Amino acid sequence: MTDATVNADATAFAGTGEAIIKVENMDKFFGDFQALKNINMNVGHKEVVVVIGPSGSGKSTLIRCINRLEQHDAGRIVVDGIELSDDIRNIQEIRKETGMVFQSFNLFPHLSIIDNITLAPRQVRRMPKAEAEELAMELLTRVKIPEQAQKFPGQLSGGQQQRVAIARALAMRPKVILFDEPTSALDPEMIKEVLDTMKDLANEGMTMICVTHEMGFAREVADRVVFMADGEVVEVGTPDHFFDNPQEARTRLFLSQIL
Amino acid sequence: MTDPLITATGDGVPLVVEPNTPPSKKLPPGEWVKANLFSNWYNSLVTLVMAVILIYLARFLIGWAIGVEWQITRTNLRNFMVGGFPADELWRPWAASLLIIAGASLGFGAMSRAEHETDVRNGIPSTKPTQLDLFRRFWPIVLLSIFFVSFARTTPPFIGVAVGIVGLFALREVGWRLPAVIRDRGVFVFAAFLLAGFGCLAGTGGLLAIVAGIIVAVLVSTELGRAGITTRAVVIAGPIAAGLVTYFVLSAIGLEGFGWDDWGGFHITIFATAVGIATGLPFGILLAIGRRSNLPVIKTACVIFIEFVRGVPLITLLLFSSFMLPLFFPAGSDTRSGLTRAMILITAFSAAYFAEIVRGGLQSVPKGQTEAAQASGMSPGAIQRLIVMPQALRNVIPAMVGQAIALFKDTSLLAIIGIADFFQYGEISNTQQDFLGKGLQPVTYTFIALGYWAVAYWMSRESRRLEMKLRVGVR
Repeated sequence: MTDATVNADATAFAGTGEAIIKVENMDKFFGDFQALKNINMNVGHKEVVVVIGPSGSGKSTLIRCINRLEQHDAGRIVVDGIELSDDIRNIQEIRKETGMVFQSFNLFPHLSIIDNITLAPRQVRRMPKAEAEELAMELLTRVKIPEQAQKFPGQLSGGQQQRVAIARALAMRPKVILFDEPTSALDPEMIKEVLDTMKDLANEGMTMICVTHEMGFAREVADRVVFMADGEVVEVGTPDHFFDNPQEARTRLFLSQIL
Repeated sequence: MTDPLITATGDGVPLVVEPNTPPSKKLPPGEWVKANLFSNWYNSLVTLVMAVILIYLARFLIGWAIGVEWQITRTNLRNFMVGGFPADELWRPWAASLLIIAGASLGFGAMSRAEHETDVRNGIPSTKPTQLDLFRRFWPIVLLSIFFVSFARTTPPFIGVAVGIVGLFALREVGWRLPAVIRDRGVFVFAAFLLAGFGCLAGTGGLLAIVAGIIVAVLVSTELGRAGITTRAVVIAGPIAAGLVTYFVLSAIGLEGFGWDDWGGFHITIFATAVGIATGLPFGILLAIGRRSNLPVIKTACVIFIEFVRGVPLITLLLFSSFMLPLFFPAGSDTRSGLTRAMILITAFSAAYFAEIVRGGLQSVPKGQTEAAQASGMSPGAIQRLIVMPQALRNVIPAMVGQAIALFKDTSLLAIIGIADFFQYGEISNTQQDFLGKGLQPVTYTFIALGYWAVAYWMSRESRRLEMKLRVGVR
């Protein structure tokens, strides 16, 4: 292992125009354990970044810091021109612009599918009910399950639930969507329907950061692949570079284990 | 969608497959008896012994109930029901009870229709509940009313109970048929009747004005929401103004009634329970949230309150209410009635217990729920109100109803501080001159036990019903 693996720079971004997310020298500790070490990363407008790495490498923590589900301990995070601080209004503003899709869906089990989707637009954006419902139906059509609108999350399959979760994130019309291992809790036959939905989103120009183990998805959709291990960004590159010509020993080891 | 029962055979001809049904587990009566009661020699023996014991007990109880002198309950029926309420004002509790039954019946009819319409609109199969369903829901209360009134010595109570029962079933139909505008506000129909009933009983001052003000504020708030008005100033100021106007108007009317110092018997038992739940639950929820707060002052205050109140027997709290609480009121001000002070302590008591139950519920809501709501930019208050609390409360319905039933029975301790509730009249009637020393306690306490049991059992059934309803399609 070479010392060149420490803290690769992920600041050069693809996409169009400005960087929408900037992470500078960011550290994160859980107690004494340093989960993220001096992360530098930018994400461009309309860019799709896929973050991969072994479990415990800090991938999820990284994206959870971006919308303040975890609080970073040092460095700066700027989302759409707003720096993340302790000010709750800043945090709310950033969360409005960043949707999130979780591994375990986290749909609200006491609300119907349509209410799951309309809740945040109505509460946060003060959207009138009729308009929110129209939007929700449009999004459900987009994720191909409009007929499930009146059901409850418990009545849907895992794949359908995750597609509702994506629709719920889209309902806030966010500028970025963070995906935290969206297919890891799904049965194999349902992974495809969720990945297809994500691919459609990417093709429509949504800015996305995806933590995932789906290498096929990374290869096909990503503009950039970020490989993390032990709380550090080890290697960054285009999918071609990353899968065909990895430079770092740890990347090669990881790829040899999973491919 | 293709019919799942039709599968292709390969030559293009659909093959109709008979639907599989699970094998019937029902046995004809003869075989059922054999399988469950006389399957071998020792089971047969147990069956026979138990049968002998049961027959003996049944004969004893029936014989006792027929042979015993029920005169004491007949004489004291009014005491058991309303205590020392002024005799020539008895129309007030009757009017109150009938108005509340009417409100409940209309309101629930309207609400079940609204639910039905929503289900139909959303393509969920739904049928109108029958009168039999209504009877299944309320039979403990209906039978209890009939049991009570069977001891009456004059005609009006029979008429009153008959009107109540007929009203319960008939007005549900009316509620079901109300125009949609009123139907969608079923809760407020119920609240209006409840307030009217309460007004008949206790006049329009004080508590009624406060509760009415709160209800009107909630009504205005929901109406604004329905109308799609989101202007901050209107949404906040409108309900508050409407509530205050209601409060002042009702206070100004100043209709005279009989406050709860004149109440007693079953009436006060029910009322104390209702107040204990209606005030204890909101305070309990606030305490539970406070106990999970990050602010040390709030957290400590809540912990101290909860642990103190839970660590002291209710009797002690009630005695505290009659001896120590007056010291907290400014000297010279009216010292408040004994029941008011007792209600303050009962509220504190049930709030502390509800708080711990709700806290358990809050812990049962997965962290991911909060995170998902946070990630969409919702405010902490909205997350608590719309995401966490509904799930937390749903998870602890059985425990909360258990607490409500316990509170209902615990109100019998009001007797200790000299409030003549339902339970207390057991002893009072046995010390009357006509019945003193006749050993009629078994009669009065059987009567009392049946009264408590019917209501508690009804509450328990309602809890199960609520659980079933809220879990529909959820897990």
